[in-house]
Amino acid sequence: MPELVVLRDVQDSELRHIEDYLKVGGYQALKKVLLELKPEQVVDEVKKSGLRGRGGAGFPTGMKWSFIPKNVDKPKYLVVNADESEPGTCKDRVIIERNPHLLMEGIVIGSYAIGAHCCYLYIRGEYYEQAQILSLAIEEAYQHGFLGKNILRSGYDLDVHLHRGAGAYICGEETGLLESLEGKKGWPRLKPPFPAVVGLYGCPTVINNVETLATVPRIMERGADWFASLGTPKNGGTRLFAVSGHVNKPGTYELPLGIPLREIIFNYAGGMKDDKVLKAVIPGGSSCPILTADEIDVKMDFDSVAAIGSMLGSGGVVVMNEEACMVKVLLRIAKFYAHESCGQCTPCREGTTWLKNILQRVNDGQGRPKDLDHLMGIAFNMIGTTICPLSDAAALPVRSFIQKFRKEFEYHVHQKACDVAQVMV
Amino acid sequence: MPTLTINQKSITVPDGTTIIQAAEKLDIEIPRYCYHPGLSIAGSCRMCLVEVEKIPKFQPACNTRVSEGMVVHTNTEKVKEAVSGVLEFLLINHPLDCPVCDQAGECYLQEYYMKFGLYDSRMDENKIKRHKAEIIGPHVILDTERCILCSRCVRFVNEVSHSHEIGIFNRGSQSEIRLLPGKILDNNYSGNVVDICPVGALTDRDFRFQCRVWYLSETKSICPGCSRGCNISIHSNRQRPHHAGGRRVMRLKPRFNAEVNHWWICDEGRYGYKFIDDPSRISLARVKEKGEFLVLTLDQVIGRAGEKLREALEKVGRDSVVVVASPRLTNEDLFVIRKFFGEDLGLSQIDFRVPDQNLASGDDFLLRADRNPNSRGAEAVLLDENGFDLTQLLSMENSRKLQLLCLFEQDLTKTLGEAWAKKFLQQFEYVIYVGSNENETSVLSHLTLPSATYAETEGTFTNFEGRVQKINQAVEPLGDSLPTWQIVSKLACALGYRYNYENAEEVFGELAERVVEFQDLAYEKIGDSGVEIPDISKVQV
Amino acid sequence: MLSESLLEKYRDLTSRYPTKRSALIPILLTTQEEMGYLTPESVRFISDYLKIPEIQVYEVITFYSMLRTTPVGKYHIQVCTNISCLLLGGEEIFEHISKRLGIKEGETTPDNLFSLVEVECLGACCNAPAMQINYKYHEDLSVQKVDKILDQLKQQG
Repeated sequence: MPELVVLRDVQDSELRHIEDYLKVGGYQALKKVLLELKPEQVVDEVKKSGLRGRGGAGFPTGMKWSFIPKNVDKPKYLVVNADESEPGTCKDRVIIERNPHLLMEGIVIGSYAIGAHCCYLYIRGEYYEQAQILSLAIEEAYQHGFLGKNILRSGYDLDVHLHRGAGAYICGEETGLLESLEGKKGWPRLKPPFPAVVGLYGCPTVINNVETLATVPRIMERGADWFASLGTPKNGGTRLFAVSGHVNKPGTYELPLGIPLREIIFNYAGGMKDDKVLKAVIPGGSSCPILTADEIDVKMDFDSVAAIGSMLGSGGVVVMNEEACMVKVLLRIAKFYAHESCGQCTPCREGTTWLKNILQRVNDGQGRPKDLDHLMGIAFNMIGTTICPLSDAAALPVRSFIQKFRKEFEYHVHQKACDVAQVMV
Repeated sequence: MPTLTINQKSITVPDGTTIIQAAEKLDIEIPRYCYHPGLSIAGSCRMCLVEVEKIPKFQPACNTRVSEGMVVHTNTEKVKEAVSGVLEFLLINHPLDCPVCDQAGECYLQEYYMKFGLYDSRMDENKIKRHKAEIIGPHVILDTERCILCSRCVRFVNEVSHSHEIGIFNRGSQSEIRLLPGKILDNNYSGNVVDICPVGALTDRDFRFQCRVWYLSETKSICPGCSRGCNISIHSNRQRPHHAGGRRVMRLKPRFNAEVNHWWICDEGRYGYKFIDDPSRISLARVKEKGEFLVLTLDQVIGRAGEKLREALEKVGRDSVVVVASPRLTNEDLFVIRKFFGEDLGLSQIDFRVPDQNLASGDDFLLRADRNPNSRGAEAVLLDENGFDLTQLLSMENSRKLQLLCLFEQDLTKTLGEAWAKKFLQQFEYVIYVGSNENETSVLSHLTLPSATYAETEGTFTNFEGRVQKINQAVEPLGDSLPTWQIVSKLACALGYRYNYENAEEVFGELAERVVEFQDLAYEKIGDSGVEIPDISKVQV
Repeated sequence: MLSESLLEKYRDLTSRYPTKRSALIPILLTTQEEMGYLTPESVRFISDYLKIPEIQVYEVITFYSMLRTTPVGKYHIQVCTNISCLLLGGEEIFEHISKRLGIKEGETTPDNLFSLVEVECLGACCNAPAMQINYKYHEDLSVQKVDKILDQLKQQG
């Protein structure tokens, strides 16, 4: 078994209460950080570890932290992104449910590193039970002096507040999240300025994913070199892969970055359900271009997956067998983006629904010969033309599905029907 | 002061300038819908995408600040493709109902399609049905199918009028401009949302279906609705006189002036033009004989007025004549009144201040409590060496018999109230009324001379801050009406004085020489945006 | 109109932020949880309480899929049909519930007990297909399992 980082103490159990967490050495990393290290040293250590954001974009975490300007009078904020909503992704939920204090510890360390004394933990509204778990964890952390004034007598103060969203995928985008946190619609902001300079309430802000922050205590505990050695160059550590779809053992697996996708599916997720043939895999949540069965030897790290034209994204691995209709799956993805587009930018607002409508027709046997070219063209016009990446996220799957499964789409258009088996032959 | 190049043209601009602003200085057109210089940056329509060298992604020109050495391209194939793609997205759900749309001819969907679109439509789906032609307020109609969600109107009600009536509800392609149930768009600046709407989503109830915009001529002018002096354009229809029941002035639009009104005007001013083509216009000169109006030629009536004036002066004397001018008149009108009545005839009872019983209030934005466009000018022209105060005369019981009252644009019945006005008027043997529209006072006069409205003449107004601004003639004076300065000139001639001003400019030239507040001002220097009288506070002493 | 306990929650929520407005969405959620949906009166009150133009409160309500201005059934069934659930029968689960309850997407049973909606990914992909009834997750669903759940709820009334 590969070494675990985030799920180390909780592979088959939960450590919801602080007493249990303390028993396995919890908050020791925080003690070390607060009493022995300067904030800059924490940032440097995280930089050295090669930790990249686990939300989807994979931006180096230490570098993100270092963008916070040093000499400003304004308060600084750490905002935790627990708005996990990317289809195929359910890994932050695992951390929250099994080891909420690991996240808390990461939050305090991260806040200390960037000089924040206030942190908001933004959790999607549907995660009601998870919000209750976190509320309890926050309460316990205050009671034990890991939050509040003068934490561990270090002189460092930090308040953490839980903030619930109300159902909007776009609030997973950093600045959409900030808008939402300020009591507005989750319309992503124009950048520049970037949140590190002008973020929450106009103040310097870092937004980090749950998994990212949950990783930090381990890095501080075992050292950057140890963490980096777990993954591949520039891709330090492990990743939670949420494997779903047509596999025998769907679940969230913590595995080193760089592990071949084939191994994830066949060694960890138990292989294909009912011994059906693997047809396609979405490697990192619905936004990521689809991979065919021929491409699953790819190493699952940010750079290797990007090299074959897809993305590691949020680590949500969706596995599809020979019976999955690509038109139908793509239609469902398109429906999702049409539903979740915030409506601000023209190409996304109009394009997502247009794609959905054409795909609906193709799926319903009403396809026309030009539809596939139109889908490709519309998707092309949606890429790189909007404020936030949702438009790209909606367009990239369309292009990759049609490119890689064109015959299947053509069959729908010309035969006005779906016959997956026939196409596969 | 960074220097950048846009499409190979170089320019140096102040720090903080955006690409879209720099391009405007170079006369390079970057299409835009959501960007409006008077509103916050939304950056969402995505029409202004440009390429900036060394930046891999398209940048919105509206939100991208220039930097030293920046190299911008607005006309590469990549940019053209992206912009035409955005336009296609904007139009897929648009009803394309230009033949019945009031915006046709001044619609930026039409304009940009011809300039940046020209693609073949790929849209094969059913368009999204939305709310059509909703009356959302006293002045504005909303068609959400035509709306491109640029959010200009929303930002306007949040940032300029602070009235918060409009919002964008829902998200994605379900997004729609809505108001609260039971609420309407009703604030004194509501008409501005029509101006800033780049498409036919918000149209003006007043202008709707009255005239196609390509028949309109634009004339730069100043709103006469209050002492702010908002810069406007008069849109008049000279080409299709049979439209709109013969109305000539079709609408007023605000005209940008950074010192006065920026991009905006109030609704009271915007819709206050109706008197110009109203049936109440006095188009012919007349005298009252045996209680009946007798219409004569203008010269005949002016001749009669001259006789009455001479009679009063000769029989009773200067103290028997009172002239009430108006802060609605131009500086040129007022100067000729002062020159003729004050200087030539030596009258001292000249004033323009009438206490108004219907006190209006202003707001904290543009509208001023003083609803006259030229109070400041009237003070400067008429009050400088004149101790007469009409208020005293109005409040006194006069034992002496007054002979002649000459009223210019002064509806005393309205300002003083009927009883007071009648009592005052009855003290005079003879009342001359010079004005543009019939009212309770004009019908009481013995002699009426038709004057042109501000839309039919040229001249200057001085706003409350001392800015001298120019009005221009949009349409011909109605019937026999003439600008007031010409009527007074003719009257002067009738009494043997030589008045041969060719135009308002000539009057202004003399005014600038003779009235200290206007010294050193040249008519041609007033330009389109006016000039401020230097150190008016000192001059006033 | 609003209970003291709800007002106490408003006070607690607003105390967490430097601007009152930040508490808007949590306050809307809390209000909805107590009252079932957001009534015009409660929206007006919140708009007043937080000093936010009412129109902007409605903009927010209509933006977020969990917020509603009309009532739903006592058991608000939210079935995920997004990819992971779709691959394992999420649509069939939805159809089954729809048929069994005799209501379509967005409808409520006449007894106001159940309402049914199709929702986007609930973050239960590894236990697909999944649904949420009110806030409770039900995962690894099968038609049989769904029937059991509905039977039980029907019994509870």
